Amino acid sequence: MPSVITVMDPVTRIEGHMKVEVTINQVNGVTQVVDAKCTGTLFRGFEKILTGRDPEDAVYITERICGVCPVSHGMAATLATEAAAGMTAPTNGRIIRNLVLGSNYIQSHLLHFYLLAAVDYVKAPNSAPWTPAWNPTDVTNGQGLDFRSDPTLDAVAGHIPTAVELRRTAHQMGAIFGGKLPAPANFLAGGSSSVPNSSRISAFRSYLAVLQQFINNVYIPDVEAVANIYSDYKQIGVGSGNLLSYGVFDLDNAGTTKLLSRGTYRSGSVRTLDLSRITEQVAYSWYSGSTARPPASGVTTPVDPDTKTNAYSWLKAPRYNNLPYEAGPLARMKVSNKYTGGISVIDRHLARAYEAKVVADAMSGWLTQLQQNLTGKVYNTYTSPTSGNGIGLTEAPRGALGHWVSIANGNISNYQIITPTCWNASPQDASNVKGPMEQALIGTPIDDSNRPIEVLRVIHSFDPCLSCAVHVMRPEGKPVVIRADACR
Amino acid sequence: MNVSRRHFLKYCLGSAATLGLSSSLLGNLDKVLATGGGPPIIWLAAANCTGCTVSLANRIAIDHPTDAADLLISNVNLAYHPNLMGAAGSLAVQNALKVEQSGPFVLAVEGGIPTAFGGRCCYVWREKGVDMTAMQVVTRLAPKAAAVLSIGTCASFGGMSGAAPNPTAIQSVQALTGVSTINIPGCPAHPDWIVGTIAKLLTGATVSKDSYGRPTDFFGSTVHSNCPRNGTPWATNFAQEGLCLRDKGCKGPNTYSDCPGRKWNGGVNWCVGANALCIGCTESGFPDRFSPFFTSAGAVPLGHTAGPQTTSCSACHTQSQLP
Repeated sequence: MPSVITVMDPVTRIEGHMKVEVTINQVNGVTQVVDAKCTGTLFRGFEKILTGRDPEDAVYITERICGVCPVSHGMAATLATEAAAGMTAPTNGRIIRNLVLGSNYIQSHLLHFYLLAAVDYVKAPNSAPWTPAWNPTDVTNGQGLDFRSDPTLDAVAGHIPTAVELRRTAHQMGAIFGGKLPAPANFLAGGSSSVPNSSRISAFRSYLAVLQQFINNVYIPDVEAVANIYSDYKQIGVGSGNLLSYGVFDLDNAGTTKLLSRGTYRSGSVRTLDLSRITEQVAYSWYSGSTARPPASGVTTPVDPDTKTNAYSWLKAPRYNNLPYEAGPLARMKVSNKYTGGISVIDRHLARAYEAKVVADAMSGWLTQLQQNLTGKVYNTYTSPTSGNGIGLTEAPRGALGHWVSIANGNISNYQIITPTCWNASPQDASNVKGPMEQALIGTPIDDSNRPIEVLRVIHSFDPCLSCAVHVMRPEGKPVVIRADACR
Repeated sequence: MNVSRRHFLKYCLGSAATLGLSSSLLGNLDKVLATGGGPPIIWLAAANCTGCTVSLANRIAIDHPTDAADLLISNVNLAYHPNLMGAAGSLAVQNALKVEQSGPFVLAVEGGIPTAFGGRCCYVWREKGVDMTAMQVVTRLAPKAAAVLSIGTCASFGGMSGAAPNPTAIQSVQALTGVSTINIPGCPAHPDWIVGTIAKLLTGATVSKDSYGRPTDFFGSTVHSNCPRNGTPWATNFAQEGLCLRDKGCKGPNTYSDCPGRKWNGGVNWCVGANALCIGCTESGFPDRFSPFFTSAGAVPLGHTAGPQTTSCSACHTQSQLP
């Protein structure tokens, strides 16, 4: 068959704006993806907006980068600005920030599986906002979509409405200390503005108990059911095979120990993360410069796409040791030795579900710690330094998130952000190596090139968040040959 | 979802006041929902962070709606929404285009509209093989819409995406199109403000707006004037329970919204309830007018000079005359 280029725009049920272009061809008798390019379609320039501002403002401003993981940006910004000032939050401030972050992890993981990903595998409820939708049995070229029939899958679909409710419950829980969600008010450089008391802890615990029950008895079994019935997806969407985690949920005030560890995974073994090996490349991105730069001295100088015609993305290409690395729950769980499976579409979903349990169980323990020390400090008075540098490394629900801040004359002089989706959806680097999501797409077998549901399954397994990807931009581009631009 | 008339009225009577609906409008709403949810809504994501959609989702209840807001958002005819809808690609776009042609429809825009690079730093969808920018689609749809809702401070006034130096030359929907919009600001917008305004539109009632285009039902008074901490001693540091944050930089005196009474996340809490500042997120000029946040920038009430002159508002004002 002739090679077919399929463009999906918009890719829905992700957070933000994304276009994916895949080339489909027959290899060894199997119709499959032979090339892939991921492009975001929005640029806002937050790094420029932050320059010149009061370092304390970075928390509230960066929380507005992403409405799905605002708490993670708040966490990264507090850690970065605290590091620049040579201070840390006190114990209760650290715990409260962990509790609000944990609440958002649970809401984000439930949102991802039940609202964004599940309907790639199961028939959605016949009500708004899931209608209209492709009828899986619609026939456009002689065959239906690869939707499998099984009573357990119907049960998964039946849980979607409850999950929608509980996602909202998770936000109510986080608001007890966060003030409101999304975009919590209590995160401050220096700690938390909200304080614990017995009634707040008790209310938090009631919400958490309901969520734990759902995670253990419904969410995990549902993901396992999808994993069993679509078990061929344990071989699909492998990607770079390299995993990276900054670690998250500090268990001491210096951040030395974490609930989910910092490290990398490559060739079957977990290794120590060496921050000095992180660089950003722009070989295939519309930025000037040819050297791979560490983020602390990163520059963001866009160039006219017409003058750099080999580039195809406004996403920079973060690399570790000059190699692409995948970020996300699978990376965290593998690096923490809490997940023994492989790397694939299904493994990403399983690791995410198991992680929800790890986080929820830990939150219960943190509430006990708060209860035993109700009068402990939540906030250390923050004084912005005249000059300094700070790094804030944490994990958004969808992967490694880093903020690098430089302060001069008391104001922010440079602010660079590397989001998880920059790691996962990055374009090619100077060595012509594609990003993890592009690699994961290549080789994916396709039933119906008019409606490549398989492509969406691979993309959604990464839980991409293009609102987050601050470097992302879409140029004026000439449309390529388009055979179809639709799928479920 | 099928809801009996009896249940509908129960939900509505329980929450009509909080949505700013008079009981006489409820009958109209009942009729509209009975006939299929009223005019369809096309929800476009421009230069947004998806936060307003996440906030709206905090109102979506499928199984057991507890009030009219839950009910409405579950029944309203959301013809296009990039994050929530099941369809993708051309099926999604076709649905929106069909609604655009058949009309009438309500246009909701989340995010500011980038005009730099000819608008090409924000594409919303592909039509007949051509990538369409937010600028193009909003400009085309806004004049055809029965009503245009600017959801969040970015769409309403430029907001965070248009903060200095405004790298992508963001404009509000009204500034770009010249169409008089209903502005529902907030960073994010409160779901009740969105749903309550949509409810009023569906009943055919006029939405009364202030000079910034905001529904007066929700933005009629300042945060400070209704704050339970107004008149309490001024906090000298953060994490002090129950104290007024005016001297730490709280923007409540110059910020119009009903947050103190309504609160967030189903009434669980709000920013000041967490001993944090109001940062003025519902105001035109946010964030630059209020930044640096932890100073008196944008925080000083009218008729006052900058800087602390005393230790509480009640030192100068009687209880009934608190600012």
